[in-house]
Amino acid sequence: MSGDAIIAQNLIYSYGQLLAVDDISFKVAEGEILGFLGPNGAGKSTTVKMLTGQLQPKGGQATLLGIDVARNPEKVQGNIGVCFELPNLYEQMSAEENLDLFARLFGIRSFDTDALLERVGLAGREHGRVEGYSKGMKQRLMMARALVNRPSILFLDEPTEGLDPMSSETIRNIILQERERGATVFLTTHDMMEADKLSDRVAFIDNGKIVVLDTPHNLKQQYGKRALKVEVARPDGGLESHEVILDKPETAGDVQGLFSKERVVTVHSEEASLEDIFIEITGRGLVG
Amino acid sequence: MNWQIVRALITKDFKLYFRNRFFALITVLALVMYIVIYFVMPQTVDETLEMAVYAPVLPPILEQAGSPGLELVLMESEEQLKEAVTDGEYLAGVVVPPDLMDKLMSGEKGQLDVYFSTDTPEELQDSITVLLEEMAYLQTGQMSSVHISPEVLGRDMVGIQIPMRDRLLPMLAVVILMMEMLGLASLISSEVVGRTVQALLITPMTIRGLFAAKLIMGVSLAFVQVLLFMAVTGGLNQQPLIIILALLLGAIMVTGIGFLVASGSKEMTTVMAWGMPAMIILSVPAFGVLAPGTVSDWVRAVPSYYLVDAVHQAVNFNAGWSDIWDNLLILLGFDIVFVWLGITVLGRKLR
Repeated sequence: MSGDAIIAQNLIYSYGQLLAVDDISFKVAEGEILGFLGPNGAGKSTTVKMLTGQLQPKGGQATLLGIDVARNPEKVQGNIGVCFELPNLYEQMSAEENLDLFARLFGIRSFDTDALLERVGLAGREHGRVEGYSKGMKQRLMMARALVNRPSILFLDEPTEGLDPMSSETIRNIILQERERGATVFLTTHDMMEADKLSDRVAFIDNGKIVVLDTPHNLKQQYGKRALKVEVARPDGGLESHEVILDKPETAGDVQGLFSKERVVTVHSEEASLEDIFIEITGRGLVG
Repeated sequence: MNWQIVRALITKDFKLYFRNRFFALITVLALVMYIVIYFVMPQTVDETLEMAVYAPVLPPILEQAGSPGLELVLMESEEQLKEAVTDGEYLAGVVVPPDLMDKLMSGEKGQLDVYFSTDTPEELQDSITVLLEEMAYLQTGQMSSVHISPEVLGRDMVGIQIPMRDRLLPMLAVVILMMEMLGLASLISSEVVGRTVQALLITPMTIRGLFAAKLIMGVSLAFVQVLLFMAVTGGLNQQPLIIILALLLGAIMVTGIGFLVASGSKEMTTVMAWGMPAMIILSVPAFGVLAPGTVSDWVRAVPSYYLVDAVHQAVNFNAGWSDIWDNLLILLGFDIVFVWLGITVLGRKLR
């Protein structure tokens, strides 16, 4: 094994004439969280489907944990966990039955359902039918299902979209715990804040191509505006905003001047968000 | 193929099937209903005498004949008469030669050909023969003035007439099988629409394992029900092995058709939209058993004909392997075709 959990080499997929994924290559290291960002129709889901063995690439190769996905999808699927965007649970069955079923599909004989359900905050609800669960509870159960086989790689598709803060926090904590355990996480999301908080690196995909792949920090360094926003009190009681550009010879003097001459109320660093960077690179937003 | 995975899927499918209130209820209720229908059907046959007559020159005695319980219907030709009797439209048919009256008047012995349907009871055959001799005596005033040569058209059913409810058995068996086909199709389409099948397909489970589980589940659900029905109604009293094999092949066939219906369906409404026409078409051969002569030879093109005919022959005529093997072989052929077609079309949709 190379130390890379996921290797995508020149992956291509098309639906008829529509080129959905256009010759993309990237690697994800073991224990890394990669945020995979892009607008609807950019090729995110198709890429995930090729990586998880649901689609055969029309070109290129996907290797997970050193195994060629196209040649041995079942072996790969035994080592991954997938959490889908929309709930696809057996709603007439209980949480316990859902997890037991998937444990058996993974060939796991002894499995502590209660411990896993407690981890996702569903302890005490294990016997109730899933159809009576809230959206947040279903999403947490989906997360639990993805963890049944203690996967080496986790594929998460919008895991916190539309969830209440408590459910979102539970899921974020689990993602970080999984990374601590050594799992690789492939996180597909629209939520830039979430990607920023969780991802070691982010990849932007647009029109089937990866347009940038780097750490959020590096991207902000490269594309962001390094500046301070200083608000000072005016004599009439209002606030006045000043922008101090960093990395200039006169920056220190400007800051000092403001503090000595004005009554400074707030100072904020102005940092570009991943959304700003995506717009700057692709010329369009992530949603839509 | 990993059989532990297949077993887990089958357990899950049965659980889901019986947790669907509609299917759980309809499965139990329908079975009870079919058994009740069987037992409320007449156990005895209707022996009202309807007799076809072909007589280019109608003897005066026949012109005056006709009483409650006896109905004479004139045919245009001997061929038409034979066809009508063979199809079971009439219990008996008499061919009166044009020179009968001349022979009787000259003291010669006349000849009457009498044809009986396979369903005509033996006692009735005797009664008809006596009735015709009585008519000839009334006409001539002499005993033994006619020679009557009787012939049973088709299989001779003397002593083994089929009550309506036994005729109904093949139809009820087909309907039970088809109902389970609808249940299976609905279960599969709800898995596709609910995308649970997508979750299954990213586990080590293979598509072959998935189909093996669905096939076993579909066949056993249909087979056990129809077997239970046949056992309760006494349908397994003779030739049980042949009937069990025929029903098993029938259950496999409807499972294949269930895959096809599921591949074109999105929910219960579309399952019914595809399933009902299939159910009606596959029930047609059973009408031929219920009312002989109502369907033509084209019914042999309907795959369920070979199931219906095998069950009918075995249950109602005690037919053995030598009579039915060809039906079973053709049924097996249809099984292979429908299962292969169902797996191919549905498999494409699932992938």
